[in-house]
Amino acid sequence: MSTASGRTAHAKAILGPELHSRLAETKVLLVGAGGIGCELLKNIVLTGFGHITLLDLDTIDLSNLNRQFLFRKKDVKKSKSIVAARVAGDFNPNIKIKPIFGNIKEEEYDLEWFKGFDLVLNALDNLDARRHVNKMCMAANVPLVESGTAGYLGQVQPLVKDLTECFDCIPKPTPKTFPVCTIRSTPSQPIHCIVWSKSYLMGQLFGIDEDAGEELDEAEKQGENAEEIANLRKEAQSFKKVRDAIRNLTLNSSPTESPAKQAFLKIFKHDIERLLGMSDMWKHRAPPVSLDYEKIMDGTFWVGENGEGGAQKNGNNTNGDLQPIASTSTSAAATTASARVALKDQKKLTLKENLELFISSVNALSLRLSSNPTQTIDFDKDDEDTLNFVTAASNLRSFAYGIEQKTKWEVKEMAGNIIPAIATTNAIISGLIVLQALHLLRKSFDAKAYTKLRNVHIQFKPSVPLSSIAYSKPNPGCGVCRDVYTSVRCDVKRTTLGDIVKGISGDREISVYEDKRVLVDPDWEDNYSRTLHSLNVGSGKFISIVDEEGEWETVSVGIGGLPNQPSTTLPFILPSPLPKLVKKTKAPAPSPSTPPPPRASLKRSLPDDNDGAILVDLLSENIQNNSSHPDGQPATKKPKLSTHGKLKPANPSSGFSELRSPSKKRRLEEDGLIMMEGLDDKFEEDVIVIDD
Amino acid sequence: MNDSQSLETATTSIQAPSGVPDPKTRRYDRQLRLWAASGQAALESARILVIPATATATSILKNLVLPGLGHFTLMDDGAVTGADAGNNFFLDGFFSIGKSRAEEAVKGLLEMNDGVEGVADVRDIQEVLKSDKGWLKTFDVVIAHNVDSNVLNDLAALLWPETHLVVVNSAGFLAEFSIHYREHQVIESHSETSASLRIDQAFPALLEYAMSLPLDTMDITDHAHIPYPVILVRALEEWRREREQVTSPSSSTGSPRTTVEKKVFKERIRAMMRKFDEENFEEAEAQAFKCWTPTIIPIEVKELFALYSSSTSLPPSASTFPALISALANFVQNNPASPRYPSGLLPLTLSLPDMKSSTEEYVKLQKMYRAQSEKEKQVFKDYLSREQVDADDVTIDAFLKNSHALKVLKGNEWKDVDPGSKELLLDKLSTHPKETATHLALAAARRLGAKDVLSSFKSSSGPNDATMAENLDKNKLKDLLTAEAMTFLPPGTELPETEWRIVSGEIARAPSADLPTTAAFLGGLVAQEVIKMITKQYIPISAGNAASSANDQLGICVVDLVETWTGIL
Repeated sequence: MSTASGRTAHAKAILGPELHSRLAETKVLLVGAGGIGCELLKNIVLTGFGHITLLDLDTIDLSNLNRQFLFRKKDVKKSKSIVAARVAGDFNPNIKIKPIFGNIKEEEYDLEWFKGFDLVLNALDNLDARRHVNKMCMAANVPLVESGTAGYLGQVQPLVKDLTECFDCIPKPTPKTFPVCTIRSTPSQPIHCIVWSKSYLMGQLFGIDEDAGEELDEAEKQGENAEEIANLRKEAQSFKKVRDAIRNLTLNSSPTESPAKQAFLKIFKHDIERLLGMSDMWKHRAPPVSLDYEKIMDGTFWVGENGEGGAQKNGNNTNGDLQPIASTSTSAAATTASARVALKDQKKLTLKENLELFISSVNALSLRLSSNPTQTIDFDKDDEDTLNFVTAASNLRSFAYGIEQKTKWEVKEMAGNIIPAIATTNAIISGLIVLQALHLLRKSFDAKAYTKLRNVHIQFKPSVPLSSIAYSKPNPGCGVCRDVYTSVRCDVKRTTLGDIVKGISGDREISVYEDKRVLVDPDWEDNYSRTLHSLNVGSGKFISIVDEEGEWETVSVGIGGLPNQPSTTLPFILPSPLPKLVKKTKAPAPSPSTPPPPRASLKRSLPDDNDGAILVDLLSENIQNNSSHPDGQPATKKPKLSTHGKLKPANPSSGFSELRSPSKKRRLEEDGLIMMEGLDDKFEEDVIVIDD
Repeated sequence: MNDSQSLETATTSIQAPSGVPDPKTRRYDRQLRLWAASGQAALESARILVIPATATATSILKNLVLPGLGHFTLMDDGAVTGADAGNNFFLDGFFSIGKSRAEEAVKGLLEMNDGVEGVADVRDIQEVLKSDKGWLKTFDVVIAHNVDSNVLNDLAALLWPETHLVVVNSAGFLAEFSIHYREHQVIESHSETSASLRIDQAFPALLEYAMSLPLDTMDITDHAHIPYPVILVRALEEWRREREQVTSPSSSTGSPRTTVEKKVFKERIRAMMRKFDEENFEEAEAQAFKCWTPTIIPIEVKELFALYSSSTSLPPSASTFPALISALANFVQNNPASPRYPSGLLPLTLSLPDMKSSTEEYVKLQKMYRAQSEKEKQVFKDYLSREQVDADDVTIDAFLKNSHALKVLKGNEWKDVDPGSKELLLDKLSTHPKETATHLALAAARRLGAKDVLSSFKSSSGPNDATMAENLDKNKLKDLLTAEAMTFLPPGTELPETEWRIVSGEIARAPSADLPTTAAFLGGLVAQEVIKMITKQYIPISAGNAASSANDQLGICVVDLVETWTGIL
């Protein structure tokens, strides 16, 4: 037997000659070259898919190597997609793998581009990108296999427009939110302090220089404590001096005026003292204590020093003994079996060690900024300096408020939303993805192939490792896959909104949206005469035409560029034939973005967040349990004692204005405060809980 | 940076806290969050033998090498064929053809993790079984994929029960695997059920505190911060006193039983609210079932007391586990730290869930639980000291923390599940027809292979299914499979028609094709179970609880990737 035919002997015998020969011509898009992506790439190369496009925006990190087996230590910091394509490509030179080091949400990856694939496989780690690919696949009518893993659990789901449910048919949970005042002045749990130091303090000291006013304006509108807000405003303004010191680190500056010490005094002494001045706040809760730099350093900082150290009255000293806090404390974790061999990051730091870590991390970050004062540094769980800073700052704050302190190991997990990940689960899931993909491909010549499609979950129960169920029908109320999709090719600078909308929908009573922005409603049609370009509706975006009577399904129009023909004089080409309107089926339950929102809200409604039916939801609960509640009680009962209003996203006050402060939105989103406006997904990857 | 330093150095040397974590911790960060440093240490000291270098076997190994297995030996006396090059990712494609399968695969596998030791062994396993028996028993786990039946039987007999044997068989989209051990003790089972808060049998300090609160006169904010366990203990004790018509502590252990009583009890909690929106009382009402869900000892844990008291049934164990169980049994009999409820309770563990409360109140409650669990731990340690074993505090803490979820599993010997007793198979055919049909078909194929009827069913010679599928009369093969399967069952038994037609057809089509997707899937699934065995964490597949006298499980995991399901027989 020749080696050439020998190579494919197994696959041919099993898949049959027909399916097997089809594979060589199949164009598949693989989105993500991480934990699942590496396994999946190997599998589809071995199975014989002929044309593979592999896209990933990430570079390789050392912590990937325990499962992303196409990468070696020498590859760290290189592009995942390029390295993966090279390694897998060496295995079979007959297969064409095109790596793309980029973001799937960029506008060049538009509807037409998606239509060029026979099949899309998702191996993504964040909700935003997964939803985006889902929408593009629904719009382009390309079958998609969705997947995700977390620890020992995983899930695979084949999605086909009009046949199965889509990714958005079942609402996904939105991350938890905290009131601004809880984060900024009255934390009661370690997570409050971690969120504060990662998204507020990091930004104030090392981030973009901006006025923190909007968030507070919004909090004020939501009815949070006005006096407290005024105080927080003052606090924010006084950051400037510290910021400047951090950006002008002189190596010989004396310790008394080092940026680290200035930052410490501002944050842990003066700001706390100012808060303490608001005596009303501390009537019913224990006040924080302000920290003393020198006394911590020489080990003489005592609990109850000021005679009031209220936060400690229920702390370690119920019997009234004064104990030096700076003495070595043993981590609670060290007494559990999980720390039989304690990792050094799992050691709980003493107060003094936290202060030292604070100083060294501020110095390190300061050094980086001093060489380039216009640079900014955001929290990144894999950036040791920022992780050290967040660990130290949140622990110092926790100490001041009498809250349990966390180890660096725990802070990394909480701040970075880290999900455990191992090779085994990814291997199982990626095997299942290919099987579902084969069923999808077989459809073109075997009508019964779709009966074999399954939604598969790997579960915790040892007795039934896999649970598989037949696919579900689309949710009639789904705001993504129930839309009627069409596309328009146009020059956005010469095409008005009216050209498109009137051309497609005629003169019905309608509202027009781009994502969640309202562009037109029946009483406000000014935008019809504006060009798409001026409305910031570029290639790759969708315009949704929503029937005001609720009688017809929404028509979603994908915007794409004109084909390259210099002779084309028309600024736009409408679809031909025009999309057929589809009568709405009565939606039994509210769902992601339907029904159309009330006009006043200027945005489409959010998904319900109380649905436990999807895996991600269950997982995030489990993870939480494992990290902070070893007893495994459902973590659904978080204290919600604050009577403050919830922080709401600072919605643009007019329908189509750009967000005024993207970086702030982003920071808040990372903490799960907002999930309403789509922004660059790169920054949201921490929000959802799937393996990277 | 070198990340192949020893675990001890990597994890116990506390450097300056600002130091960058060592590369090893970073590399394994995501998995350490699953099985912790203790699991990692076990994995890194494990030695595994894998036979032979098939796509499935190397996929399994890949998933053990990546997380940092200590040592593996890959045994294969064959050379790489064209088919191997096409379906085994860890060979060097075209360049490997003609070279040793073991050596080529080990080279590819080791590239993934330089902290792992890997050795290629090009001997024939049949020879080794004759000449080097002792060496085979030096491994912790031996994994055999599609190994010829005769060889497998000898290997299994040699290894039982000290060395754990994992048998994997696959054919196209069908597969089964099993782990062969006598007994497997799991302390850290990572159970999803939590230990009891003992609301119904409150310890003295908690009861006293709950009864001391001036509910009607205390500050309204403090009132809204009372943690729900305190509310429940208070409400239940008041309910008991009313029923017993006493003003001093009640003697009863009674709880609301009927639907009406429960409803009234919930209303009582509601009536304790002083403002309409006190979320802690709402939470207490939602958790009221904890008052009438008695704190009991799970039956599986109780069974262990009997299992280890009649220890004649078990081999002498080097571990401290039986001693810990014995001390636990004594504790359950008499726990002086809980004078009101001295028996029938497992040691209290500090495992407070999140609840609506202020930090101060939460910490106060936490301390009460901690103080009580310390007392009970001391009682336990006193009992343990009579057992004359050395158990360090870390072991004791882990044991107590998991005492409600301890697991001792049993497995079967390979000869008892290949194919299994006629009676059991008959029973399984009626309850699990498709799983059993798959198992029977794979077992029948093994027999045919052993009889040389199905000569290609030898993985070591390199499968050649393209020609086989063409040459072999599939219908004849199906008939042979059927005849073989019938000998596994009581005379006169009928095979389930539909299921049998499908699985025997699937096997006749490709008796030993090692498909990349099936290999990937099995690679993940089997490696996962092996990791559970090595780390002694989480619950691997088994033939049931060791304490149970029932022998109604084979302990085999069956996989069908056409229909996408797995099942346990």
